[in-house]
Amino acid sequence: MKVDKKLLDDLTPELTKTSTKWYFVFFIFFAFFLVGIYALVLQIDKGHIVTGMRDNVVWGFYIVNFIFFMGLSYSGALISGVLHLFHTEWRKPVIRLAELITVISLVIGPFFIFFCIGRLDRLYFLFIHPRIQSPITWDVIAISTDLVGCFIYLYLSFVEDFAILRDFNELKVAPWKKKLYKILSLGFSGTVEQRKLLSNARTIMAAMIIAIAIIVYSVLAWIFGVTLQPGWHSTIFGPYFVIAAVFSGTGLLIILMWIFRKVYHLEEYITKRHFVNVGVLLIIIAAFYGYFTFSDYLTKWYGSIKMDSLLIDKLFNQYYSLFIFANYIGILLPLIIIAIPKFRTIRNITIAAIIALIALWVNRYIIVIPTLETPFLPIQDSRPDWIKYTPTWIEWALTMAGVSIFAMLFMLVSKIAPIISISEMQEKDKNEIMK
Amino acid sequence: MKKCLSKILFLVTLLTLPAVTSLSQGKSKISPYIQLQYFKNTDDQAYLLTTLTYSMNRMELPLPGMVISFFAGEELLASVETDEKGMAKIPFDRNAELPVSFDGSWSFSSEFKGNDTIEGANSELAIVDVKLEMTLSLTDSIKNITLKALSTRNGKEVPVSGEVVTIYVPRMFSLLPVGEATLDDNGTAVFEFPSDIPGDEKGNIIILARFEENPTYGNVEKRITEQWGIPTSYSVPKTHRALWTKTPPMWMIITLSILLTGVWGHYFFAVISLILIKIDAKRKKAKDEYRAEL
Repeated sequence: MKVDKKLLDDLTPELTKTSTKWYFVFFIFFAFFLVGIYALVLQIDKGHIVTGMRDNVVWGFYIVNFIFFMGLSYSGALISGVLHLFHTEWRKPVIRLAELITVISLVIGPFFIFFCIGRLDRLYFLFIHPRIQSPITWDVIAISTDLVGCFIYLYLSFVEDFAILRDFNELKVAPWKKKLYKILSLGFSGTVEQRKLLSNARTIMAAMIIAIAIIVYSVLAWIFGVTLQPGWHSTIFGPYFVIAAVFSGTGLLIILMWIFRKVYHLEEYITKRHFVNVGVLLIIIAAFYGYFTFSDYLTKWYGSIKMDSLLIDKLFNQYYSLFIFANYIGILLPLIIIAIPKFRTIRNITIAAIIALIALWVNRYIIVIPTLETPFLPIQDSRPDWIKYTPTWIEWALTMAGVSIFAMLFMLVSKIAPIISISEMQEKDKNEIMK
Repeated sequence: MKKCLSKILFLVTLLTLPAVTSLSQGKSKISPYIQLQYFKNTDDQAYLLTTLTYSMNRMELPLPGMVISFFAGEELLASVETDEKGMAKIPFDRNAELPVSFDGSWSFSSEFKGNDTIEGANSELAIVDVKLEMTLSLTDSIKNITLKALSTRNGKEVPVSGEVVTIYVPRMFSLLPVGEATLDDNGTAVFEFPSDIPGDEKGNIIILARFEENPTYGNVEKRITEQWGIPTSYSVPKTHRALWTKTPPMWMIITLSILLTGVWGHYFFAVISLILIKIDAKRKKAKDEYRAEL
């Protein structure tokens, strides 16, 4: 497999050497990870009493993080699938990032469920006594199916790159890496037959993971939607969750584009045009997300059902600042920044993406927590301090550990494979070969 | 130098002193809750029950293996260890010569003396012995329960008036309260029993009348089994497909099967494509080697 040397040198800066900066950043994330492990050991030893979760609020930070990471994963799948299927020209430098977001988030997300479960020793009951009437079973089936699908899709996109790296003799990497490229490239040599097989498989898997992402995240939304709780029992929760997920994933994609562009000096490949295009995608989704949010709360407010009114009162009083940030600032600010051409710089678009990402996490928080603090029936012998949820340092530490693992996995992948797909970048030549 | 060292030593001692003092104080003792209760069952057998618990992390936890002494007045009745639920129980003979106070009540107390880690505690109770009678009658298909309660004071039977007796019917998980009756001046009360309560196959149900946590009479119950229920067959009904039964609705199975077959079928296609790439690569390699040999 032939490849332009400059292209390979530019796109594989971390494959051959590891900078001190890389070790330093990795160490910081690893330190956060270790604090998380310590927090987890404490939680296992002393039980859930060390968290802020009590009789009323049985789902806290962990479920918020679970929904958030799963959302990132599905949005990554949706974005990469759509960009691949429509052969969008500007997709090439960003599609690999979207694919990696999908798989890495999907690996991290379910761990937060494990942190939340009181009796982990009974987890296998879900597999040996499944009831397909239960949304929890749907979720288990959906997540495991999605995980397999996303791994296959990611691997398909890597095969050609592994073959390029295998055949690039000037690449000075450890022998084990060369061996790994040889095994994982499956002997791919770029014949017409092989290209056709790979292309068909990728197209089919791209279509599949779009469908799976929508179904799986809807299933997650239905866990809330089918529960008769104020604020959750909503028919639009499925599409609302999907849109919100894409919103957060697009935000994360922009942030990662900015980071890798800066760190690996990819200014030539990830240009302002890419930021503007993904930014436009972000504001379109922000508009949809704003519409769904308004529609959901308007119908609840207008319906004036006692518990819904109580919940909305709580959101506009006790959770006022979080509510305004998640549903006004988090939507309007990215819209304004990206929609006005004067503000449309790489830095501003990244700031808008950071705001969108944080707002989405807060949105998940105000979906989960205030509802659980507003139960239909008061719990017998309940105390006020059991109703109000306040996360403890254990939950913060495990949340930070999740973010750190996300960053560390991204850094480790960048040591093995190019963060921008080399094969996608030279697709023009490929098309000529196919012809 | 020596002066400097001694100053540092003094400072360190000063700083560590509070910590050492607090350590030497050790953990504070547990303050337990103790509760003494009196029970008399339908066969007129009475017993005293003491529950010893403590509170930790907002949960009430039992204190097993603790010795509880039971007294009637000043007289020691027995000493019993608490079980794993923190309960100690002693039966007692109601006909035995127990010290009686001027109002005709028995004075009971239970005591836990405490130990190195748990503080001592005691609980007291004054009980007037009551005889609860329950008679069932059926007149013109109306089911009546007649209750009569008499207490013994100074050797005489005195009607119990103004007290509430609760009527229950035991169900699968707990007692179903069907009503309450207040005793009149003659110590009697009549209660009309509902006619729509399911019984066993023959219509048998257990009817239970109770004084509950009564400050004067304690816990006293009377129970009778009677064919006053609606005969009900409890054979397991033939299961049907629903959200809440063991067998899910057919549409769910079909939808899930189609979805999973469709998705995993495509995965299979992708994996087969990868295998074919591998096979093609091997074939190409063999061909290249053959050409090289030639």
